[in-house]
Amino acid sequence: MHSDRESEQLVPLYVLVNGRTTPRNAALDLATQVVALPADTTVLEPEYQQILRQCQDWMSIAEISAYLSRPLTVVKVLVDILLEQGYVTLGSAAQRTVYDRALLETLLGGLQRL
Amino acid sequence: MERTSVKVVIAGGFGAGKTTLVSSVSEIAPLTTEEVMTEASIGVDDLAGLESKTRTTVALDFGRITINDEVVLYLFGTPGQDRFWFMWDELTQGALGAVVLVDTRRLPASFASVDYFERRNIPFVLAVNTFFGECAYSDDEIRSALQLNPDVPLVRCDARRAGSSVEVLIALLQHVLAMLPAASAP
Repeated sequence: MHSDRESEQLVPLYVLVNGRTTPRNAALDLATQVVALPADTTVLEPEYQQILRQCQDWMSIAEISAYLSRPLTVVKVLVDILLEQGYVTLGSAAQRTVYDRALLETLLGGLQRL
Repeated sequence: MERTSVKVVIAGGFGAGKTTLVSSVSEIAPLTTEEVMTEASIGVDDLAGLESKTRTTVALDFGRITINDEVVLYLFGTPGQDRFWFMWDELTQGALGAVVLVDTRRLPASFASVDYFERRNIPFVLAVNTFFGECAYSDDEIRSALQLNPDVPLVRCDARRAGSSVEVLIALLQHVLAMLPAASAP
């Protein structure tokens, strides 16, 4: 039986995210890479600080969600807010609609070396 | 420094070996993340119902292969149960392509995955997982049973073996590359 994190936390989730229920940045995806920018984070709520500690180096939304045991949608909203406030920056996600031959060849070469 | 993430979806029927394949090639122990939604919000990227009692949790297993400092590949297994189809749209959003794993003892279980990717024109390869033993069917029989488009590559693999799983991913990359329009002459 896993614990119910939302009911354990002191600040209700909807307060933490200012009532936001969906990320404004629609580009946030499971695989989107996030990295923390140097900043004073002492003013932030612990939930935001946890995320920033996780992504001192590039890390995907899905990994942050897994390591912090928080649902993906929650992590997306928290990252979205950190992004707007300039605490993090995002990597680019490869889009199937704009195939990039050089990227595909890099991937193929990388796999063949495994 | 730039950082690009690439997603590949590992699909297939329940028990076809999706998590096994992700585990065998991932450089990290496969992680599990959760998407939570209420029955009412299914299909909507929304956390309005998170405090509700009727919420549903969908577990997603995934792994990672770092190609170099700038490119990282993620492998996402699809949720096993059919009632979580709504998650597939999020998983396949922007994905490079997919692998449909097949257990030949349960061929029909893979039909829905094949159909999903064909309808959406998402490139995929069919990977026949042979660790269950000798496969009684020829490639043609499998293609015919799944009504597979002739352009879709069919490969055989042992999802427990990293080398074999990597071959499946290479087959997918080659398939996607082959679908690109030829480089135009200067």
